[in-house]
Amino acid sequence: MRRGLGTSALLLPAAVLVVVGFLYPYVTMLVAPAADPDPDVPGSLAAAVTDPYVVEIVARTARVAGIATLASLLFGFPVAWAISRAAPRWRALLLLAVTFPLLLSTVIRTFAWIVLLGGEGLISQTLQAVGLAAGPVQLLYTETAMVLGLTQLFMPLLVLTAYSSLAAVDPALEDAARGMGARNSAVFARVVFPLALPGTAVGAILVFAGCVTAFTTPSLLGGTRNRTLATLLYQEANTSVDWSGVSAIAIIMTAIVLVVTVVMSRVSAIGSRR
Amino acid sequence: MTRRPVFTLITAAAVVFLLFPIVVVVGVGLSAGTVLTFPPEGVSLRWFADAVAYEPFRSALWTSVVVAVLATVLALAVGVPATYAIHRRSPRGRHALQLLFVSPLIVPELVLGFALFQLFMVEAGFDARTALVAGHAVLLLPYTVRVTGASLQQADPALEDAAAGLGAGPLTTFFRITVPVIAPGVVAATMLSLLTSFNNVPLSLMLTSRRVETLPVAMLEYVQTSFTPMIAAVSTLLLLLTIGIALLTERLVGFQKVFGRSAS
Repeated sequence: MRRGLGTSALLLPAAVLVVVGFLYPYVTMLVAPAADPDPDVPGSLAAAVTDPYVVEIVARTARVAGIATLASLLFGFPVAWAISRAAPRWRALLLLAVTFPLLLSTVIRTFAWIVLLGGEGLISQTLQAVGLAAGPVQLLYTETAMVLGLTQLFMPLLVLTAYSSLAAVDPALEDAARGMGARNSAVFARVVFPLALPGTAVGAILVFAGCVTAFTTPSLLGGTRNRTLATLLYQEANTSVDWSGVSAIAIIMTAIVLVVTVVMSRVSAIGSRR
Repeated sequence: MTRRPVFTLITAAAVVFLLFPIVVVVGVGLSAGTVLTFPPEGVSLRWFADAVAYEPFRSALWTSVVVAVLATVLALAVGVPATYAIHRRSPRGRHALQLLFVSPLIVPELVLGFALFQLFMVEAGFDARTALVAGHAVLLLPYTVRVTGASLQQADPALEDAAAGLGAGPLTTFFRITVPVIAPGVVAATMLSLLTSFNNVPLSLMLTSRRVETLPVAMLEYVQTSFTPMIAAVSTLLLLLTIGIALLTERLVGFQKVFGRSAS
């Protein structure tokens, strides 16, 4: 009995913090924001999902996040594989190079793209110099800029998760497949990729969820014409007095993240059972 | 690596893609000119002098440091005992408890910030600094539980039983066995928490007031209105600070142990 009491005392403060600092305010906000004298979240949600402006923003958010996730997979997975098969000295250095950007503020990491992507920026000048563009190319404040910024921001998550499952794959399996006559492409598609799929799927969820909820990057690189759910939510929270309307956007954002997380973790679970 | 040229090429390109923006930031920060261009126009330290003297950044830096330290202490104070209980006392519903403690990470931070803004600032009337500390502590708890839990999982629980069996009292067992076992995890969680709080934008954005801002929020606002290399100079200083913290972490517990696994 004494032991039981002690355990509860150890657990209680953390439980209180999560309930008071997360569950209670979050659920209240989604169901009936306390600051709203006359809350009507279902009505606001119905209005939001039929509002073409909001629908366009949801589509843009999903599109940009989807492309950035694909780009992260396309480049991040080979990188993870190369790292997992590199010599130990190289492996440590490459892991450091991939991990270090994660320690810097998103403002710092996004800022460089403002310099590079403007009409007078390095990329525009390079494109003109090699004759691919006739005049200045303004890439800043476009969806392309957001995809570039988000991929740079979140690709390390995919590399790290894919790496940890690839590192667990026994290289002898690859040698065995090769020994039985499989070509490199077949080894990759039939042996390496299936074994690394669960970890990679987790990485892809992290990237997609990160892109959907990111604020700094769309706000700095997308501008006011390319709003995403996050920048819309912030603008509405700051300027409107319609608390239920903001809650409706919050519900849409939360739902997208939760659905993707659940679906992908199922995929990952199926993959790991094979 | 050399046997697969395509992979070597992709890896090299990806590393350049990931690190080049950092080179750009440092280059622009060292610029002698007044506009944002890369490569920079000449080299000077003028923007560093400006950045260090800029009052909004100075007070925001102070706020960020205070919030990061207090929120980290709070998250550790509630998180470490809870993690210990989960891993060593096997309470009923330990998986549910574990899930509860990491649950704040699942939802969008900006939305959590909006919810906390309503509860803490509109309803409860907290000032911005209190709201920031409380909000950041909620955000840091999952990291604390995960990182400390990982180091507890690696240690053999039988050590504590053995100490007790050999006649050590509960206090001796705690200080001679439990503390050394849990210490690397706590150091790792501290480093990760400090950096996570210090860099946070979405949550801080919702919990700041006109007079109380954290450094990343002040920098974000500055970038949106002014196009001078000063922001790159501040970023370069923060970059140096981060390298220092990374080196210190490597010395204390191992860099990959803390930051390499923070993703998953």
